[in-house]
Amino acid sequence: MAEVVKVCTQNFGKGAQDIEVYKKLGGYANISERLFNMSQFELIDYVQRSNLRGRGGAGFPTGMKWSFVPRNSGKPVYIVVNADEGEGGTFKDHFLMMEDPHRLIEGLIIAAWALGSRAAYIYCRGEFLPCIESINKALNQAYAAGYLGENIMGTKFCFDIFVHRGAGAYICGEETALINSLEGQKGQPRLKPPFPAVSGAWKSPTCVNNVETIMALPWILQHDPSEYAKMGTPRAGGTKVFCISGDVKNPGVYEAPLGTPMMTMINEYAGGVVGGKLKAVLPGGSSCAPLTAEEAAVATMDYECLASMKTMFGSGAMIVINDTHNMVDLLNCLGNFYSHESCGQCTPCREGTGLLHRMLNLIVAGKGHDGDVELMQSLCGGFGGVTICPLSISLGGPVSSYTAKFRADFDEYIAKNPDHAKPRVQETYRPGIFW
Amino acid sequence: MREHIQGAVQFVSNNRLKFDGPSQPIEALPDPAQTFGHVHKAVPQPAPKDVLAKLDTPEIKERCADLLSRYPVGQGALLEVLWLVQGVFGWVPTEGIRWAANVCGCAPAHALGVATFYTMYNHAPKGKFLLQFCRNISCTIKGAPSLIAYVEKKLGVKTGETTPDGLFTVLQVECLGSCGNGPMMLVNDDFATDVVDGELKMKRGTTLTEASIDRIIDWCKAHVNDMPKHDVLGGIVKGHGGHPGAPGATAKPQVADYAPPSPVLNVKAEADDAGATLTWKGAPEFTKIVVEKKNGNDWVAVGEPGVKDKAFVDASGKVGDVYRMIATSGERTAKPSNEAVTTQKPVPVEEGK
Amino acid sequence: MSNYYNMPKLPTENSPKVEIFVDDKPVMVPGDTNLLEALKAVGIETPHVCYHPFLPVSGNCRQCLVEQEGPRGRMLVIACYTPVAPGMKIYTPASSARVKNARKATQEFMLVNHPLDCPICDKAGECTLQENYMEAGQNESRMRPEYGKNYHGNPEHQFIDAKGQVRGGKHVDLGPRVLLDEERCVQCDRCVRFMRSIAGSEQLQLAGRADHTYITTFPGEKLDHEYDLCVTDVCPVGAMTAKYFRFQKRVWLLSHTPTISMDDSLGANIWLDHADGHIYRVMPRCNPEVNRSWLSNTSRLAFQNFDKNRLPAIDVESLPIGKGKIALVAGGSCTMEDLAALRMFKESLGDGAELFGGSLLKVGAPDGIAKSGDPVANRSGMKLMGFADVSEFMKRASEFETLVTVNADLFGEDAAVAKDLEKINCRIALSAFDDATARKATIAIGVRHWSEVQGTMVNSLNIIQKLNACPVCPDENLEAAYEVISELAGNKLESASAAFAKATEYASALAGLTYDSIKSTGKLLEGGNA
Repeated sequence: MAEVVKVCTQNFGKGAQDIEVYKKLGGYANISERLFNMSQFELIDYVQRSNLRGRGGAGFPTGMKWSFVPRNSGKPVYIVVNADEGEGGTFKDHFLMMEDPHRLIEGLIIAAWALGSRAAYIYCRGEFLPCIESINKALNQAYAAGYLGENIMGTKFCFDIFVHRGAGAYICGEETALINSLEGQKGQPRLKPPFPAVSGAWKSPTCVNNVETIMALPWILQHDPSEYAKMGTPRAGGTKVFCISGDVKNPGVYEAPLGTPMMTMINEYAGGVVGGKLKAVLPGGSSCAPLTAEEAAVATMDYECLASMKTMFGSGAMIVINDTHNMVDLLNCLGNFYSHESCGQCTPCREGTGLLHRMLNLIVAGKGHDGDVELMQSLCGGFGGVTICPLSISLGGPVSSYTAKFRADFDEYIAKNPDHAKPRVQETYRPGIFW
Repeated sequence: MREHIQGAVQFVSNNRLKFDGPSQPIEALPDPAQTFGHVHKAVPQPAPKDVLAKLDTPEIKERCADLLSRYPVGQGALLEVLWLVQGVFGWVPTEGIRWAANVCGCAPAHALGVATFYTMYNHAPKGKFLLQFCRNISCTIKGAPSLIAYVEKKLGVKTGETTPDGLFTVLQVECLGSCGNGPMMLVNDDFATDVVDGELKMKRGTTLTEASIDRIIDWCKAHVNDMPKHDVLGGIVKGHGGHPGAPGATAKPQVADYAPPSPVLNVKAEADDAGATLTWKGAPEFTKIVVEKKNGNDWVAVGEPGVKDKAFVDASGKVGDVYRMIATSGERTAKPSNEAVTTQKPVPVEEGK
Repeated sequence: MSNYYNMPKLPTENSPKVEIFVDDKPVMVPGDTNLLEALKAVGIETPHVCYHPFLPVSGNCRQCLVEQEGPRGRMLVIACYTPVAPGMKIYTPASSARVKNARKATQEFMLVNHPLDCPICDKAGECTLQENYMEAGQNESRMRPEYGKNYHGNPEHQFIDAKGQVRGGKHVDLGPRVLLDEERCVQCDRCVRFMRSIAGSEQLQLAGRADHTYITTFPGEKLDHEYDLCVTDVCPVGAMTAKYFRFQKRVWLLSHTPTISMDDSLGANIWLDHADGHIYRVMPRCNPEVNRSWLSNTSRLAFQNFDKNRLPAIDVESLPIGKGKIALVAGGSCTMEDLAALRMFKESLGDGAELFGGSLLKVGAPDGIAKSGDPVANRSGMKLMGFADVSEFMKRASEFETLVTVNADLFGEDAAVAKDLEKINCRIALSAFDDATARKATIAIGVRHWSEVQGTMVNSLNIIQKLNACPVCPDENLEAAYEVISELAGNKLESASAAFAKATEYASALAGLTYDSIKSTGKLLEGGNA
């Protein structure tokens, strides 16, 4: 395994939660003339040239996102850090915030300088209380050291960071839902347009960025943007923090350049598949289509390759599945998850995820029927592009792809029902029985 | 199965007419809210004045004031104030929701909607140790279902129930964001895979096993009286000035001119028969751009393109001329752009399509 | 849900017309509105559940899908949130199978947790879900009973029915006027948006999430608001039902009379829904300028007393009018026709007669929804017809020897004035009800109630609006007030249009108008401020 440059995880295990250690490791070096001599426009151009793309899942270019934020509009500009990571298989932000909270703060100061933001909110999911403690401790140290607050390091620049503790809703990872949640409402995605960059939190321009995106900024500012862009693929620069979980020897968080072959990640970084032969890989979190072992052998971990294989890069969360698992069990997990996490706003998602979840439960309980799989596929057709946010597709996609790629697993389960071939009986309406 | 409810619907539920329906009642699938243990069924509520008395402490008042100073609209602090209520009671009583709504200046019904939307607010008292087991895909791959069954058997309770001694409540939750250590559990607010040196720890490379669950449960039983206490909001941050304009905030809005004015970026000059054509990247806030040309050691202004223009042509320009551009935004003039040496414009290649 | 939903922009007569392509055919539609309204304007109905023209758009039912040609190919969009843009290309189910299937799929999802109890549902017959189902629905269910349901409403109200199935609360008492059937709720959010954005009192919320979202008030609190019955109107299904109308009548057996509520000077437009000689309910009639789709509980429930305590008709040839001065006092619910007849009567009586109008009740403040707060419905009309205010009469009450009241219950409105009024020897009351003034009168003559007459009124926005007679008059011998008065004046006006023609002679602002030219949504008079 070649030595790779570590952008976000370089301080792991070095005790960088303490500001003195972090400074010794080169931290906060950016919060100096290097940043103060830059105009907002230059800094945004700088990030654009680094080819940094949002690390939360959608992969939108960060510099471009920032350039959409109107400057000097008279309204405050908010930066909101999306630390509501809750998708199955994704756990990078948890460790990034635990191990290196000061890097997040430094990155936020840089982002705030670029956008002219006065206040930033770190929306951290409620389960991550240890992360919040870690960040709050770091914030106290940063305030004491003068990196935050009024007139930072003698400039006219003032900046505050607040941590907002979520309370258990996966959907708040969607940026408009996150903004609603920040405003003290239910985390339900908003209709778009207007997009948050124009009218987000409290109707002000708002930039929602992932933890990892913000944490890449200190490194980018210290180095030349071209150096960062060079590390990745032509369309997406830099390294990525991959989370590898499931049936591998060493599951965990690994930083590697974009475009690393999938099997290199599994075999060299994570120590190979354990417990059986490789059956499938979910390359970008639980909501993406799985790759079979043959597909995984040729895949590389970047946005373009995975998109061409009809799955997605997402947040770089690889879930490795060996051949001892039945895919129906795993799909049932997803059914439970997405039906539980649907915000209940759009009809297809609210009713559809629940229905799929119940059908999957029945199949797993040995009560499936012939035709259930076709019905599920048909129901998922009703999800495509009709809801406000893509949560319904996050279940619809896996249902379609699991049933298409691993049909034998489903048939095996359905065959367990002795009555599986029984046709559907139309339950007739019998007035007078109940009322 | 749920009991009959009393009152208005009684006549419906007692309407046991004979009918030729299915001989077996159709087995209703368990309500997902119940399998997760987030049951919103009404529980006996403490008296309103007891709730308010417990919430009326100087410490909580100070925390509320701090929270309200962080958001431009008081409602923003609603989630955090509900956390404070949960910190006091271990769950969110109805009266606590109303109190939170009053603190944040929103309607009680709105606060109710919020408090029931998010699953981490408990609407019923829980055991001293809330054991939350992840059952999402990564943990299931690593054997979470059998571990949950093991815990249920060991403690003698089902998911969502509390042990008779009031110590443990078992919940199944969705992804805890620690898939690398899966299966994963939360003991109250701590991620735990094992007990290391007398403390709950999630060590890299360790996962939950039946043996480590035994150790964790033993540890819990031994620490009933000295449970690790976490602040519900992860501690207090000192030194912030709040959000400009919020009650109690000292912060002022960001000044517009904290950063140097934006210069013109990426100036390029290419010459052909028609003269030198300059292209550049301009910021939206520019109010004026001046193009200058090097003449010996001096710079001579040669033109003033519009701020929205994409290109500027200096008719007298030729290969080798040096240009720079100076932008003004409002009353501030930025440093000059990079010096662009004019090159020969390449002949456009005809596309062969 | 989010507080930042915006009200939809509705097309008006002055909307600019733009050309868009619907199913590749060019059509001219209003350009300043959303696609749903624009398509409606050209006769293409789009099914919708959560969209309501007078509520903020939340776009959550996903029923109004259409296909739009965009930079990334044809995309499904919701018509209620897509603004009309010139040249846009839209595909409806008429040409696009994708739209048809998407709507069908949404319809199927919507019915997953919806009970099949239409036969006992009060909304059946006017249910949005039924309408959508009949239009675009899938006629055979693909579900199996084993799939079951997730949604059972509030866990507190669940019960187990005779079949052993878990059921959601069927009649949850939300407040004094509204009952909730939790099983029927489709979580469209309309009632929540109405209470928050229109009523301004967020008493309802959706609690929980996913498919166990249910409508509730704050525990222990009641839904109690002057406009709370409007949630039963906006509810697209039978989840919110009004207690007063529950199980009273199937809606398809009701006939509808469009008229004006004469208890407030805004003159809310209403439907009187009647059958077999009784009014069963009062529904708001949409008038974007006046009351939009809203109606206050007071106006809505007033009908329950329309047929009670009525005065009988009596045949009066002439009135025992004394020689002194005569006060003719018109009550707040008098139509323009009544006022015209009163003026005729005054002219027949000579110089001793004076005209007054109004009521002794206090004038409140407008609530901005469907009430102006002024109990004198036709106050603007009285001004046009030259009626002095009744307070003027009360100041000079001792001057008069005869008092003729028309639907003006002076005794009932202010008990303190009885002392003064009783000094007037001859008190003649023309009234629909046997009220305090009628009981104290020398002669009490029964007339028709405003719900039973044709006529016009001018509301506080200076819009002249038309009343229609609902055929529920308890006594067919009763005549409208203008008929009785004009007969006393010696020139009986046989019809409302004749009486209105008389009114146009007296009021210059009405010049040129005829009764038949007034549309159902009224006509703004010159100098109005609507």
